[in-house]
Amino acid sequence: MRQKRTWPIHVALISVGAVMLLPFYWVLKTSISGDNIFTYPPSVIPRDPNPFYYVDVWYAIPFARYFLNSVIVSGMTIAANVVLNAMAGYALTQTFRGKTFVLLLFLSCMMIPFQATIIPAYLITGKLGLLDSYLGLSLPMFSTIICIFVYKASFDAVPRSLIDAARVDGLSQWTIIWRVMLPLARSATATNVILSFIWSWNNFMWPLIVTRTPEMQTLPLGLARFLSYQEDTTGALYAFCIMVLAPGLLLFLMAQREFVQGLSAGATKG
Amino acid sequence: MSVSRRSATLLRVLGNRFVFVPLLLAVLIAAWNGWVFTHDHGIVSGRVVDADGKPVQGATVRLWIFDFATFVEHASITTAADGSFHFTGNPSHNIQLSADKPNAGRSERIPIRLYFASEDRVLKEPLRLEKRD
Repeated sequence: MRQKRTWPIHVALISVGAVMLLPFYWVLKTSISGDNIFTYPPSVIPRDPNPFYYVDVWYAIPFARYFLNSVIVSGMTIAANVVLNAMAGYALTQTFRGKTFVLLLFLSCMMIPFQATIIPAYLITGKLGLLDSYLGLSLPMFSTIICIFVYKASFDAVPRSLIDAARVDGLSQWTIIWRVMLPLARSATATNVILSFIWSWNNFMWPLIVTRTPEMQTLPLGLARFLSYQEDTTGALYAFCIMVLAPGLLLFLMAQREFVQGLSAGATKG
Repeated sequence: MSVSRRSATLLRVLGNRFVFVPLLLAVLIAAWNGWVFTHDHGIVSGRVVDADGKPVQGATVRLWIFDFATFVEHASITTAADGSFHFTGNPSHNIQLSADKPNAGRSERIPIRLYFASEDRVLKEPLRLEKRD
C-alpha cells in the first residue's frame, strides 16, 4: 500500500501554529526589550533584552497582593465548580420528572450574558454582606452551566450497570459521585478546573464592581490600575500581561491532554 | 510496604507533572527569595575619578531614586581619599548616581537598574568628573 505523504499537512499546521503563536511571541519580546510597537523597522529578535520591566511592574503596584487575591479567588472557584458541577451533572444523568424542563432551563440560561445579571448579583451579594470579600468575589462563578454539561457528558458515558452495582453494594448517591463517577471522569474534572480557573483569573467586571478596597483587588484590576499610573508603559505593560497570563498558560500546558479529552467527551460514541 | 516499593511510589508521585512543576516552581521561588534576603542591604558603592582617571577625594556623590514619575535625590555622600563612596539604605530598584566637585567638574547621571529593591551593587565603571558648561 502506498504511504500517504504527510509533510504538506505538517508544513501547513506548523505555519498556522506559528501565525497563532506570533502575538504571544511579540508580547514576550516586547516585555524584555520595551520596543515600541511603532518601531520601524520592526525587529523579530529582541534588542538589548533585560528583565527590568518585570521588576518595575512588581514594585509599581502591590503585585504580590493582587496575585494572592487572584489565587485565593480562583482556588475557591475551582473547588466549588468541581463539587457543585459534579453534583449537578450527576443529577442530570438521573431520570426524574421535569428533567427536560431543567435541561432547557439550563440551556436557555446560557444565553443570558453575565452583564445582564450583574445588578441582581450585586444586590444579592450586598444583602449577604459579602461585598469586598473573597467569597463575594468568587460566588457568582461557583457553578457554570457549560461545566455542568461537561460533567453530564462524561457521566453519561459511564455504564448504568456500574452505578446499579454500586447501589446494590449499599453506596449512597454522595459516595457514588465521589468514589465511582469522579475517578472515571478525570478529563471532565481537568476541563472544569481549567475553564473555571481561566474564567475566574481573567474576570474583570465582577471584581471591579464588588471590591471596595485596593487590598481586595485582583490582577485584571491591577492591570487597569497600573495603566492609570504609568505613562510610558510599552515594556512594563507587556511584562504585566505575561505575568498575568503565565499561570493560566502553565496550567493549560500541564493539563492540555485532559482538557481536550474532557471537552470532546460525549462527542463520539464507542 | 517494602522500602523499594515505597521509593518507587514516591518517585512516581514526584514524576507526576502536577506535582513536579509546582514543586520546581516552589524551589525556584524559595531560592530566589533566599538570594534576595541575603543581598538586600541597600549598599551601593563605587569610585569617582577625574578626566585622567585619577581618584577624586571630596567629591559629592548623589543617589537619586525613582519616585512615582521622576527621580528625586535620596542621599549624598563625600568620597574618600581613594575616590570611593559607599551608600547604605538604598530602598529602590531604579536608581541614578551623579557626582560633582567644585573646580573639578561633574559626572553624568548614571542610571542603574537593580533586580530587586535594595539590591547590593558595586559599580564596575567609576563616575568620571568632567568640566561641563
